[in-house]
Amino acid sequence: MPVFKTPFNGYSVKFSPFYEDRLAVATSQNFGILGNGRLHVLSLSPNPSQPFTEIAAYDTADGIYDVSWSESHDSLVVAAVADGSVKLYDTALPPTSNPIRSLREHTREVHSADYNPLRRDSFLTSSWDDTVKLWTLDRPSSIRTFKEHSYCVYSAVWNPRHADVFASASGDCTLRVWDVREPSSTMVFPPHEFEVLTCDWNKYDDCIIATASVDKSIKIWDVRSFRVPIAVMNGHGYAVRKVRFSPHVRNLLVSCSYDMTVCVWDFMVEDALVSRYDHHTEFAVGVDMSVLVEGLMASTGWDELVYVWQHGTDPRAL
Amino acid sequence: MSTNSPPQNQGAESAQPAANVDQQGATEEPVKQSSTPSVFVNSEPMREEQVQNAVKFLSHPRVKGSPVMYRRSFLEKKGLTKEEIDEAFRRVPDSAPTVQTGGVTQDGQVKSSSNIQQQAQPQALQPGLPASTGVNTSSATLSRSRFHWSHALIAIGVLAASGAGTAIVVKNSILPRLKSWIRKVVVEDDEELKKVDRKPTLVEEAAQAAKSAAAAAADVAKASQDMLISKEEERKHFVEVVSLLDKQVQEMKSMTNALRRMEGQDLRITQTNTKQLIVNGNGKADYDLHSVRSTSPPVSYEPPGSLHPKSYMEIMNMVQRGEKPSNTRPWEVGQVQNSSTQVLHAQGSGEYLNSKVQDSTQSNGDGDDALPWWQKKNARIREIDNENEYNGNGSTYGAASYQPPPQRTWVPPQPPPIAMAEAAEAIRRPKAAAQKDQTSDTQSVGNSSDVSDEATRIPRRSESEVVVEGGSISSIPSSVEIQEDQELKQE
Repeated sequence: MPVFKTPFNGYSVKFSPFYEDRLAVATSQNFGILGNGRLHVLSLSPNPSQPFTEIAAYDTADGIYDVSWSESHDSLVVAAVADGSVKLYDTALPPTSNPIRSLREHTREVHSADYNPLRRDSFLTSSWDDTVKLWTLDRPSSIRTFKEHSYCVYSAVWNPRHADVFASASGDCTLRVWDVREPSSTMVFPPHEFEVLTCDWNKYDDCIIATASVDKSIKIWDVRSFRVPIAVMNGHGYAVRKVRFSPHVRNLLVSCSYDMTVCVWDFMVEDALVSRYDHHTEFAVGVDMSVLVEGLMASTGWDELVYVWQHGTDPRAL
Repeated sequence: MSTNSPPQNQGAESAQPAANVDQQGATEEPVKQSSTPSVFVNSEPMREEQVQNAVKFLSHPRVKGSPVMYRRSFLEKKGLTKEEIDEAFRRVPDSAPTVQTGGVTQDGQVKSSSNIQQQAQPQALQPGLPASTGVNTSSATLSRSRFHWSHALIAIGVLAASGAGTAIVVKNSILPRLKSWIRKVVVEDDEELKKVDRKPTLVEEAAQAAKSAAAAAADVAKASQDMLISKEEERKHFVEVVSLLDKQVQEMKSMTNALRRMEGQDLRITQTNTKQLIVNGNGKADYDLHSVRSTSPPVSYEPPGSLHPKSYMEIMNMVQRGEKPSNTRPWEVGQVQNSSTQVLHAQGSGEYLNSKVQDSTQSNGDGDDALPWWQKKNARIREIDNENEYNGNGSTYGAASYQPPPQRTWVPPQPPPIAMAEAAEAIRRPKAAAQKDQTSDTQSVGNSSDVSDEATRIPRRSESEVVVEGGSISSIPSSVEIQEDQELKQE
């Protein structure tokens, strides 16, 4: 299974929705505390001797915390940069003209970026300045700012079935469900007693949302009855950094945690843990499942490695 | 999926907008408007209890000093819905309304949903509010500040007046109080003196009681000593009587010899002489015998009936060796042994053992002659308390003080199989270990030597075999194992 060594510590990895073999990796120097960042666009090759081909690499003045592929253009990438700016890159253009856009509105680090899969024209960024901003590609400034959280917003994710609905997970221990047509959030509830680091919608059931927190647990909620979770999955030894629902299997989700493992869960089963991968030797902070290739998943961590493997196989096997 | 029945309707509703979204037709928005209370809205009714809790929270003075953002965040963290939070804010007049929505830059598209209506009101109020609320708050603050000042002045005045009043009252009352206090002190001194007198009396009474008790004990000791002395004197008398009898026997013999000689000479003269002698000697002997017998009854210890000439010390030695004087009862032997062992043992464990001995032997009675009483005693002790240390001590001391009897009337049975001992050991191990710690303090010499010399002691025990018997055989190997294991652990 291919392994890619990044010069900086990995922060996020995303498969391209257009190409099966393409993925983008966001990295930051010095664990993202201080220093530069680099955005890698990699291509998987069938050649076993050189499994990865780096199509492009873009350096930034500050670390890159998240990356998101555009749904409208196959070569556009959105980068969430730690200096508060949102940068757009076009891999089809030569490196000198990149980034094509640098949007500077957030007052603190931008922690996540997510592109709208249905409208395909807008994207969200969430920041440590407690706000979520809605952008479109053609406008130089944000369309809306959603400011209701009282602490860092770690993640903002679009609903895969409702074009205007998104959820935001914040360090104020609440999850908010928004509708862009509404002036304020439509739902708010506390999924955990501690900071909620990540959230993701179920791709098959539009009301199921997964949240993961510093309390090492992953909880599955139905937003229609949000008092009690559908499932609680414990098993990580430390805070869970990211969760992603599988685009192919209804009940499957993957999570990565500070306990250096990537776990795959099935939340409808009593014993939810399906598989555990401990290939990383540092915090595993980024994970993604490919939409185009069933079972293909990628992960990255602070050990400066990017793994791409098929679910059920060993990531470190060659 | 665990879905409730009501949400299913909403799920059906949500399916429609999803289909519409996929179509992305012009009729998208109006269709959405009709189903806008979508799934992603809290459809639960307001919980009055939560609202009241929130009102209490917001009414707290400390909370009122905190930024509004923190209050909302706190309530959200507690799980209150937006409606409940808004209702609570509405009920508490001082707290500011939803200020955060002002930060939302609107881009048209304000729908007339029920949700928006609730929020449109505070939003509509907002432009009007800033002016009025600002004035109100400022006036409120000013009035508060004024009140603060006036409050402070009034408080100071009240305090001063009360202070003056209390000073006057105190002055008026201090003087007589002082006098009365001085008087009380003087009186108390007298009382204390009396109490001191009383106390010594109590002490004296206690001392007197102790003295009388000591005197009584001394009397008892004297009486016992007198008893002993009298016994010795009687023994001496006995010896004297015996010697006298011997002498008389010898005289009789000499008399008979003389008679035989005299027979040859003059029969009549010797007969009268011998009669006189015999009468004199018998009278003397009778007189002495009578005197001895008169003194014998008060002595209870003297064995009834027989007159086997065994001395006191001979009997003590026999008893110490373990032999039972043939004419003593078991409990008497026990008493004798108690006195002897008390002399030998200086430890509390010995006394404890002996007290147990008394209990056991007295209860046993004189029925069991087959089992020597000391064997039964130790078994009884082991039943009463499972302290192997005590038994070890007692047994070792028993072995040291008691010599093995010449004939063993009872053979200890074979030790039980190891499985049982292990079970017993497992059960007893924590107890033995704990009690080992407990008894290590109380017992001075025995334990440390016990633990260290356990290996050497085993053959000694088996050989001496005075104390070890059936009930204790199983415990001894277990105790051995326990202590061996503990030794191993200590190593």
